[in-house]
Amino acid sequence: MTGDYTIGAICAPVAVVAVELTVLRTGILRRPRFWVTIAITLAFQVAVDGWLTKLSAPIVAYRPGAISEVRWPWDIPVEDFGFGFAMITLTLAAWEWTLRRERAARPAEPGHE
Amino acid sequence: MSDAVDAWQYLLVLGSCLIVTLPLEVIGGARVYRRPKALLATLVPVVAIFAGWDLIAVHHGDWWFSARYTLRPRLAGLPVEEWLFFLVVPVCSLLAYEVLGRGARGFTWRNGRGAGR
Repeated sequence: MTGDYTIGAICAPVAVVAVELTVLRTGILRRPRFWVTIAITLAFQVAVDGWLTKLSAPIVAYRPGAISEVRWPWDIPVEDFGFGFAMITLTLAAWEWTLRRERAARPAEPGHE
Repeated sequence: MSDAVDAWQYLLVLGSCLIVTLPLEVIGGARVYRRPKALLATLVPVVAIFAGWDLIAVHHGDWWFSARYTLRPRLAGLPVEEWLFFLVVPVCSLLAYEVLGRGARGFTWRNGRGAGR
């Protein structure tokens, strides 16, 4: 079963990756450092999101029709990981893009190479 | 937990994320908080897109927030904590990313050469 959130959670990562590859073009997806950051962030997401979504005392509750109702691990709707991946990927790509622009705007500093 | 403490749950979760990651900036050599302009430029599109998604989903009734485990104030229908989520989580991931990028220069355990300040 798929809900609106299921569709969004599939499309958002694809859209963000497409924006990185065609617009931002920071090359971040080819860097191990990016994937390690994603792994660390998703690991922390399990702890934090697990607490937020636990069905025994939910801080966030979902309409069953909006999600696939696949919840793993614990009670986390799997869709949350698509949301998380997309948000973190956009964050890191936008950060790289911003730093590059700052560096390009600054005249070369001697002794920095 | 008492009801009064319960209402702080979401904020406490976000607060612990900031506390756990603060050493990455202070002793890990990440420069995220110390680049406020770059941080702001990064957060603006992220908040616009992902909080925007959140607003639409909440308006649509796809998910909602417990009145018991959040504080009273609401901004555009979202608890203030949910707005803070869109600042806290990206900052935490940037801190991890920056520390990884500093490699051995970040921490002071190699060759005793310091963090290069």
